Amino acid sequence: MALISSLLALRRDARILKLPPYLSALLIIVGVAWLLVLPLNEYSRNTYVSENALLPGQVHTYFTGSEHNVFRAYRQEVAALPDLSIEERNNKLADLFRESDLKVAKQKYTYQVADTNISNENVYAVLQGPRADATEAIVLIAAWKNMADEVNYSGVALVLALARYFKRWSLWSKDIIFLIPGDSTSGPQAWVDAYHDGHDPRTIESLAIKSGALQGAVAVDYPAGPWGHRYDKLHIVYDGVNGQLPNLDLFNTAVSIASGQMGIGCTLQRMWKHSDTYEERLQTMLRGMLAQGLGHATGPHSSFIPYHVDAITLVTVGDGWHDEMSLGRTVESLFRSLNNLLEHLHQSFFFYLLLQANRFVSIGTYLPSAMLIAANFSIMAIALWVQSGRPAPPPNPTATKLVKKPLKKLKFDGRHYVEVPDEPKNEKEPSDSDKKEDPTENTTDTTPPVTAVSNNGSTALVPTASLQVTERALLLPLLFTLSTHFLGLLPLYAFNLTPAAELRPIFIVTANILTLLPLLTAWLLRFSFAPTPQQTTLIQSFSLLLLGMFLSALATLNFSLSFMVGVLCAPLSFVRERKGMVASGVWYAVLVLLNPVMVCQVACWVAGVGVEEVLLKASEGWAVWGLWTQVVVWGVWFPAWFAGSVVVALGFFPE
Amino acid sequence: MPANQQTALLYGGAAAVRLLLFTAFPSLPNLLAGRVEVSTPVTSFKRLQEGLFLYTHNVSPYDGGVYHQAPLLLPLFSLLPNPSSHPFATNVVFTLVDLLSAYVLSQIAESGQSTVTRLFKSSRKDLRWSSLAVAAGFLFNPFTITTCIARSTSALTNLFILAAIAKACQGASLTFLLSLSFASYLTMHPLLLFPPLLILLYDALAQRSKSAPSPLAFTAFHILGLAVVIGALLSASAALTGSWDFLAATYGVRLLLPDLTPNVGLWWYFFTEMFDAFREFFLGVFWLHVASYMPGLTIRLRKQPLFVAATLTGIFAIFTPYPSIADAALYLSLVPLFRHLFPLMRYTFLALATILYATFLGPAFYHLWIYAGSGNANFFYAITLVWSLGLSIIVGDSLYAALRDELDVERPELRGKEVKRI
Amino acid sequence: MLSFLPVLLLNAFLACVCASSDYHERLLLRPLPQSTLLASFNFRSNESSTAIEQQNFRYFPRSFAQILEHAHTKELHLRFSVGRWDAESWGQRPWYGAREGGTGVELWAWIEAQNEEEAFSRWLTLVNSLSGLFCASLNFIDATKTVRPVMSFDPEGDHTNSSNLHLLHGNLPHEVVCTENLTPFLKLLPCKGKAGISSLLDGHKLFDASFQTMAVDVRPVCDSNDGGCSLQMEQSVDMVLDIARSKRPRDNPIPRALPIGEIECDTSKPYDAEDTCYPLDKKVEPAWKLTELFGRPLKGACPLTEEMGDEGESLCINTPPEREIQVNTTGQYSEARTALDTLRCYKLPVGADFDLVLPEQKMTTGLVRAQPQLFAARSVNGHGQERGSVQAVIRNPSKDAVEFVYLESLPWFMKPYLHTLRAHVDSLTENPVKETYYRPAVDRQRGTHLELRMIIPAASTLILTYDFEKAILRYTEYPPDANRGFDAPPAVIRILSPYLSTDKKGIYLRTTPLLLPLPTPDFSMPYNVIILTSTVMALGFGNIFNLLVRRFVGMDEVSALGAGGIKGILAAKLGRLKALLGKA
Repeated sequence: MALISSLLALRRDARILKLPPYLSALLIIVGVAWLLVLPLNEYSRNTYVSENALLPGQVHTYFTGSEHNVFRAYRQEVAALPDLSIEERNNKLADLFRESDLKVAKQKYTYQVADTNISNENVYAVLQGPRADATEAIVLIAAWKNMADEVNYSGVALVLALARYFKRWSLWSKDIIFLIPGDSTSGPQAWVDAYHDGHDPRTIESLAIKSGALQGAVAVDYPAGPWGHRYDKLHIVYDGVNGQLPNLDLFNTAVSIASGQMGIGCTLQRMWKHSDTYEERLQTMLRGMLAQGLGHATGPHSSFIPYHVDAITLVTVGDGWHDEMSLGRTVESLFRSLNNLLEHLHQSFFFYLLLQANRFVSIGTYLPSAMLIAANFSIMAIALWVQSGRPAPPPNPTATKLVKKPLKKLKFDGRHYVEVPDEPKNEKEPSDSDKKEDPTENTTDTTPPVTAVSNNGSTALVPTASLQVTERALLLPLLFTLSTHFLGLLPLYAFNLTPAAELRPIFIVTANILTLLPLLTAWLLRFSFAPTPQQTTLIQSFSLLLLGMFLSALATLNFSLSFMVGVLCAPLSFVRERKGMVASGVWYAVLVLLNPVMVCQVACWVAGVGVEEVLLKASEGWAVWGLWTQVVVWGVWFPAWFAGSVVVALGFFPE
Repeated sequence: MPANQQTALLYGGAAAVRLLLFTAFPSLPNLLAGRVEVSTPVTSFKRLQEGLFLYTHNVSPYDGGVYHQAPLLLPLFSLLPNPSSHPFATNVVFTLVDLLSAYVLSQIAESGQSTVTRLFKSSRKDLRWSSLAVAAGFLFNPFTITTCIARSTSALTNLFILAAIAKACQGASLTFLLSLSFASYLTMHPLLLFPPLLILLYDALAQRSKSAPSPLAFTAFHILGLAVVIGALLSASAALTGSWDFLAATYGVRLLLPDLTPNVGLWWYFFTEMFDAFREFFLGVFWLHVASYMPGLTIRLRKQPLFVAATLTGIFAIFTPYPSIADAALYLSLVPLFRHLFPLMRYTFLALATILYATFLGPAFYHLWIYAGSGNANFFYAITLVWSLGLSIIVGDSLYAALRDELDVERPELRGKEVKRI
Repeated sequence: MLSFLPVLLLNAFLACVCASSDYHERLLLRPLPQSTLLASFNFRSNESSTAIEQQNFRYFPRSFAQILEHAHTKELHLRFSVGRWDAESWGQRPWYGAREGGTGVELWAWIEAQNEEEAFSRWLTLVNSLSGLFCASLNFIDATKTVRPVMSFDPEGDHTNSSNLHLLHGNLPHEVVCTENLTPFLKLLPCKGKAGISSLLDGHKLFDASFQTMAVDVRPVCDSNDGGCSLQMEQSVDMVLDIARSKRPRDNPIPRALPIGEIECDTSKPYDAEDTCYPLDKKVEPAWKLTELFGRPLKGACPLTEEMGDEGESLCINTPPEREIQVNTTGQYSEARTALDTLRCYKLPVGADFDLVLPEQKMTTGLVRAQPQLFAARSVNGHGQERGSVQAVIRNPSKDAVEFVYLESLPWFMKPYLHTLRAHVDSLTENPVKETYYRPAVDRQRGTHLELRMIIPAASTLILTYDFEKAILRYTEYPPDANRGFDAPPAVIRILSPYLSTDKKGIYLRTTPLLLPLPTPDFSMPYNVIILTSTVMALGFGNIFNLLVRRFVGMDEVSALGAGGIKGILAAKLGRLKALLGKA
């Protein structure tokens, strides 16, 4: 406490107020730089399997020999299916499962996304472990169509062949569920929702057969046609919805089995060739962060992760010499490892950034970068709060007439904000400050009065004005900040619930509105409420405080998203209400370029994808996967941006 | 706008907000009732429903590990229609409870005991908020609204505590005794408020009738009265449930903490991780710690009993076994009574920022621990620490301000000068 | 297409009550679909009560009898079970489920005692001695795992002469049943697994079965006409063997892919080639023989079995008449066909190995499998470690309404909310729950006990759901594999009507157990927690009392009292030092 009090005594010191802008700038720079050094060996670690029960690659795999012939036959069977109707296709798949004595069930589902229906059917089979008691289960998935919308011929065939093969083993301690969803994203979502009874039974069928608690899920994506295709590497996809990640142990097990036991190279985040240089590590990490930040589903596994079911997808890429059987043996070995599990995966990391297949950065190392950026906003908020406690800068005689006015207004506010319910008020009350000589009294002499401040021993002469703390008028700033946050709901609603056809127009309209709205608001504000400099400072202080708070909370849930929003909002801690058109204009231009819609537009242009596409995906995410990236954009980013740009725009309308 | 119109507007608005939330989001009450921050094992509405169900089906609700709330709540709520099918009546009841609390709070504010007591007159006494503003501070405090929507029974406790304080301020002995004993009957620890409130009552009476009653007789009479009323309540409960089992199931649970469901307090994780051999010892120490504040504050701040009572509610919100944001809401709505102390408080912004941070991070970390499974218990535990720290900063800071305020009266020459403690 | 012959239900026929002191054993083999085989062993030994009083044991195991006597146990039922009975494809359960237990270990007994406390203390002695006898951790059945069912169980024996019996029921769902439980089980038999059908019981095959349950039932049996009573002990083992899996030699159990030559391919497929083979499902009964399936030969009859009548025929197989069976033995045996020739029973030779050989055969007729009256499945809904809801789906395929009792005994840390209990039948509106018995759990003292009597109409499905909350335990109360979660025992369903079985055994089925992931604290940091919490408390306490006990003075007066702060202290020290130097 003594420490805090001496620290807070410092805030009496006027010089301290000069510091925060530099400090927060420093924080931002350090935060970004921090991220850039992560790929170095000093800051990243080699991956390791910390759950002893997994024993990756310790077992022989027997999925060979005549199984290959059977697999080819199944692939032929699957190759005959695509031109059938969903109904017939799934009946055939169900028969194939039944021939290996498995329990089969189907699930129809329909999702309404931007006035179009996504409707399809899942088919799945349950292999009841001979010694299992239906308390635990692991899932093997092959989506009928993969993320690139190709038919997953070999993947489905492989699942069928493995189902037939696994049935012969008696060592399974958990049930094994073979799931063939109708598509790669909504199918698994519907299934896993229904499995945990989190579904809407009107549009999504409940599951006829269930098993125990899901312990893990592995999806295979191998769209090679009936004549096969030898692949080069396994691309391991691990990002879950909303940037949640599976336990690192699962990923490590897959990597060590594939590369160690089967000799298949592993790659991630579409880094097809990775020579483990700094640049490529950084690129991998940034791609991972992008995927995590956007939080969209990246494969059939994504929907499982929010239910605390660790899941990955194995995608075959490139042209090489590995055939379907090596993939099958990889899956077999992976399932033998999962079968060994005594507990739900919990040992290893859930928060990590991968640099390459066997190198990662753990949360302790990377979290500070996002936290620093969030902290810069909080520091700025505190600084602005303290600053708002000071009266207007000491006047020169010509300006003195003007100076009286805000102070009068202050008094007025002082009376009228008495209604304000919330607590945080002022450091000194008027009666107190009145007794001190008031700068506004001495309108005649030019030099502002000074007082001696003795801060443990050292005495300094400081203008009295900078020592005083005036009343704060809080009603307007509070209401403004709150209403901006509610304002964010409008675009959120608009973008998620409008038909696909109208997304583009709405986007353009929003873009224009967002450019003009701050100006309009500033104009209204100026000529209806006539905010004092103090109030504008407070508006900024509050919005920055909330921004910092949201971002630091978000950093623990979705590091990358918090980091990205933080960087994009960085200018907000430096914008002020400027005197003069030019300065305001420049700042305003900067902010307009950084508004969410513009950023989205530019990002789409850089990534070379259509805006409609992104918007459609986003509203699918909203309707199907429960994606909350939009909520962050419109509930955290937009209000902060809006408040900042209104403050800047006020500069266009001097009092 | 005339005062009564403002009042009507305020209460009407508050009621409208609550009923709107109730009706617009029918699933919201159950969602909030399930939040550990809002409803604890001893205040949860879902457990109350279970108790009601058992009670109406002639199973003793206390012969089980679910229901730990006072017996008299059972007949009270069994009068209402089943909340799961017809929630409206229950919602109205809880809304009314909030409005009543706000009304009582405004009475406290009007009594002016916060600034001017019999023995003490603050030098800043004209710096205060209208009772309306204080009531608004209670009614529109998000914590209060959340508690009301979650229909946690701590809303009732808060009402009775506030009523006890108000009656003490007005010097109404009987109603004071009644409401305080109801409060202590519901949740035990308000009993600690008795001494300061007794002093408050005494001062109020002495102020009103210039001849102060003899302290001894006064104290004896009221202690007796309290004992009688509480005794009556307990025996009524015993008669109702047919046995004294409820004592162990209600107060026993509060004392011995068998149910370690997480909450915003400091106890649950401590006793989850405590070694069995030392559990009883630390239970004793913790309770002693909670109780120890009362005498100290009462003696030192004998001149400002209302402030002591308010500070004690703050202590309860931090250091009792099953605190929830409802207790914090009670304290934070009592603080505005002491508007004249704000100029002397030093860490307001810091403390409020801390509490805000905890409010946002708490649910996030709880989600990581329980649902995402990616965080562990320490995440949420850390946030409960921060929360408690934030509240205790406010308590300590306001206490400092109060003492400083007294000092300004005793030694006017020190006004506005730096002081230090020795 | 198979044409189906009717088959009469064999359980009644297999269980006969004889009061004299004797011993019977019988093995019933019944082929099931998906090339599986149900083998249900049944050993029954009687001992007249007079003989027991004289401590004179012929067939009844002495150790067991003494335990029962010591614990005043009149009737006892003990079950060890692994796996699930797949009712959809295997039909009615053996013994109508009366000789079957929930996964793990299940025990219920009628104990004679004056009051509940005495009954419970005797129950504890019983479980402790049984855990010693069967090498199972039965001693973990404590008050929290014990319930006193009201409607679910009736005594099988005749308890005319014994008064105030107490029924107690315990359950260990997580107990892993294995060979160490089989050996003591065999030791209780008169022939100790050396001869007779028990010589087939081999741990490796038994515990490789898809479903397997071992049961021990002791009950007093009184003869109505001469009033002579005797203590009957019935041991039974029911197992469902996957024929293909059991036929694998023990030295090479790995299911390697067969050489392509040995797989029969479906040549009708257009793509059929030497490297592409669609496995043909040749719908034939697989070939097997006893020695293959059980991994050891059947060493003749147990010489202690009664010779006379069909009681002597200790090996029966239940197949269509057309199924050809070769007997392979050197000794004397006799075969008897009953029940429209669908049941062939063999009187085993004494002292000579006996083997049945069934060749691969394409069947034209099959056996009608009796359908169970009810199908039941239970699962946990919702996710997260905080709360959830249990959903039990009970389906009645039959043509008449079924009345049954549903028994849940839940651990104390799983707290059900009875007011959320909903029983819903799609086909009717009124509440199917007719009677409810509920005893709520008390933390760390006893578990929840819920019994419901319900009626489910013909050809309809009943869905029973209730919410529950999970408690967080003290860190010492978690098992080593805390993150696996805790098991909740299976629900027991007893069918009251329509009642098919002829004896007093009753008709039962059990659901699978549930896995409850509980919220776990961090086990590594009790000290840190104690330290951190104490620190926060100390901060609050110190700050407040610091304010309370000190008094304020102005800064300017402090100097008078001697400069505070580091400077002051330093100055003081310096002064003292100077003084010292001055002295020196």
